[in-house]
Amino acid sequence: MKRILAIAGLTWKSAFRYRLFWILAALLAGAVVGLPLLLKDDGTAKGLVQILLTYTLSAVATLLGMATLWLSCGTLARDIEECQLQVVTVKPISRWQVWLGKWLGILGLNAMLLTLSGAAIFILLQWRAGHLPPDEQKVLRDEIFVARASIKEREPDLTPQIDRQVQQRITELEKTEPTELNKAEIRRQVTEEVKAASTGVPPGYGRLWVIDLHTLPERTQNEAFQVRVKFHASDPNPEATYDTYWVVGPPESQRVAKIRQVLPPDSFQEFQVPPHLLDEKGRLVIDFYNANNASLMFPIEDGFELLYYENSFGVNFIRGMMIILCWLALLAAIGLAAASQLTFPVAAFACMAIMLMGLSSGTIQTVVEQGTITSYDSAAGSFGHSPLDLILVPVFHGSLKIIQLVESFSPIDFLSTGRSITWTMLGLAVAQIVLLLAGIFGAIGIILFSRRELATAQGNS
Amino acid sequence: MSAAVAIAPSASASGARQKPGEPIVSVRGLTKIFKDFWGRPKARAVDNVDFEVRRGEVFGLLGPNGSGKTTTVKMLLGLLYPTRGHIEVFGHSPRHVKTKAKIGYLPEESYLYRFLDSHETLNFFGNLFDLPAAERKKRTEELLEMVGLSQVRTRVVGEFSKGMQRRIGLAQALINDPDLVILDEPTAGMDPIGCREIKDLILAMAGRGKTVILSSHLLSDVEDVCDRVVIYYGGRIQAMGTLKELLAKPDAVRITTPPLSRETMQQVLDTIRHDVAADKIEIDNPRQNLESYFLEVVRKARESLSETSGATSGSRVAPYLRGGAEAAPPSERILERLTVAAAQQSVEPIVAPKPVERVDEARLQSLAQSAAPLPAAAVAPEPVPAADLNKANEKLSSLLGKPNEK
Repeated sequence: MKRILAIAGLTWKSAFRYRLFWILAALLAGAVVGLPLLLKDDGTAKGLVQILLTYTLSAVATLLGMATLWLSCGTLARDIEECQLQVVTVKPISRWQVWLGKWLGILGLNAMLLTLSGAAIFILLQWRAGHLPPDEQKVLRDEIFVARASIKEREPDLTPQIDRQVQQRITELEKTEPTELNKAEIRRQVTEEVKAASTGVPPGYGRLWVIDLHTLPERTQNEAFQVRVKFHASDPNPEATYDTYWVVGPPESQRVAKIRQVLPPDSFQEFQVPPHLLDEKGRLVIDFYNANNASLMFPIEDGFELLYYENSFGVNFIRGMMIILCWLALLAAIGLAAASQLTFPVAAFACMAIMLMGLSSGTIQTVVEQGTITSYDSAAGSFGHSPLDLILVPVFHGSLKIIQLVESFSPIDFLSTGRSITWTMLGLAVAQIVLLLAGIFGAIGIILFSRRELATAQGNS
Repeated sequence: MSAAVAIAPSASASGARQKPGEPIVSVRGLTKIFKDFWGRPKARAVDNVDFEVRRGEVFGLLGPNGSGKTTTVKMLLGLLYPTRGHIEVFGHSPRHVKTKAKIGYLPEESYLYRFLDSHETLNFFGNLFDLPAAERKKRTEELLEMVGLSQVRTRVVGEFSKGMQRRIGLAQALINDPDLVILDEPTAGMDPIGCREIKDLILAMAGRGKTVILSSHLLSDVEDVCDRVVIYYGGRIQAMGTLKELLAKPDAVRITTPPLSRETMQQVLDTIRHDVAADKIEIDNPRQNLESYFLEVVRKARESLSETSGATSGSRVAPYLRGGAEAAPPSERILERLTVAAAQQSVEPIVAPKPVERVDEARLQSLAQSAAPLPAAAVAPEPVPAADLNKANEKLSSLLGKPNEK
């Protein structure tokens, strides 16, 4: 362990002596202190804090992410190119120890910078919130400066319905256009139609959500809950707001709360339901009535969820920072893996390519969903096909699976909406991002580094 | 006939060292072909090389630039992988990690971290050997003292001159008190004093039973310290053997004596002429070498020098490297004696060497009647006991400081 720590310490010293640490610290301070001065909010305290949290944490993560890639590529590739590793690896230290030491050094550096910038963000937020009127402070305490867990209705299994309708559609089409059937396209269309139908609430109709809360602690069951909804409206007017009526509590009982909310579409909205409304089975029944002239659609994924207090904001913030640290650990492993075989500029280029791919998950997801890289042909009413699809679609599919392992954790989004980042979530992030993905890159990097002839590099120091 | 063969320091040193033991390094059929990106052969750097290095030997790899010496060294260290052939170091593959604890390596350039100062550099490498903190500290101090960098311990290596970088490079190679020391061009960039210090250090280590592999294209370095050499050219071994085997002229004999009277000289020559034709006999004054002369000049100059911001003269060999070599009195130490001998010589201006003359009467006359005594260095040393060479370490203390070259 002493050897690994010696290499880690060396990486630290390098960052300090070459002033990378101080430059990064200055940039982070600029992001944390300067960015809030440039940002515009919606005029509410909640909006301001959400924007501050989102932008400052994103800026910190981006800055540290890029610095991590740069440092991880540089620290190994340059040590090889400038031949310092020739002197190190002839000592009784394994190549994997050198690699791991460098990774730990970068990780430690990131942890330090992340702690400093995270602490600065936290203190600044609390300081600014302390100067707000009491009612706005209460909103912040209830909705942002809190760690709220979330419960959703179990997603309905629409597959039988989709299968049935697909078969019905194919039978109909075979009668009219028997030679030009694109079964994949038919299925995609039917799936969208079924989903829209299951999530839509036409004018004058209602929708019932039954959330099972009996597994929650009794104290939590008796507290007030926050309902978080998002819906799309069939009315194309983006400025419109909609009257929504909610009846919460056991059906056909006197113990119900009737709530009216005027809400805008296409954004998350929250309102509170009073405590003590669960039925005898520990379920919360919420009945919605659409009194508007437009249909309202609540997406299956995030259209409706129930939020309840789980922990303090401070603990949540720390967990969020730790997930960001997991991301940085992965980036460090990617950078070191590239530098294990490639020269510094090539390794940096390869890392940028990987990072760009990760940031293009939306495009990749579209390609995977459509099954082709070609665009929509409005004349034919379907997507075209390219011979490259045979290779690219499976590659994109695999890439998306990997990217989703990382992107399935959104600490910044969770923190800015006061949602709890649970220990389970943090554990999963460590397992998926650090142990699995960083582990894979680490194994690749260590194998490449162990096999590499270090003395073929021409010293240029 | 009491003929005394003129002895070079290495010859005397090697003669007195303990007899080489079991093989430490074994190389068989070693070949290294560098290939391009497509795997096509680009250069055959080492071609079917065989040799063994035994415990306690100072083994020289000699050859011109690009002859394959450094490639061989780097394969011995596991930094390059052989295309063909087999290498064993202490009975293991060169990539065996635990074996590396017994090896010290000074590369051809001092590839050290430029942002670390000399103290941190040694501390870092000490950590890689898992040395306890107290031992690390002790060795670091002793090594810095030995290589003359104790006064600049807080200056970062990137600010060092090349010679100072070689010194700290040498110190890092010795932090683990290695059993096998591999030195690649150790005197490159060093001034004559530094060169001498390194050569004496090599001898001191060999005296302790350490094995040294020295790669150099400087013939004098190799000749001064090596027991056995291989000579590379074009990646192949062109010659291999002890210096005595390679350099001795068995068909000639040299006799060195104090000044003789004309009569005695005449008698000796007459006796020799009975068996040897006159044109086969050569007579000249023995000369010291330039290195010895230079060191003496600097020693005198040093007396007026107060301080330097660069490397100072190396002190004694670090105590932990000396092992049990402290016992013998300093006066018996061979390297000390050699230096003293050099110091006793007159420092007349050096003149260009004259061609060796064949024996003639006038020359004989001048030699026999010379009023000035011949330099003490010309006196052949007495046979040196083995124990003396083990005490050679003390030599560094007699060497002199040099001005900062930075």
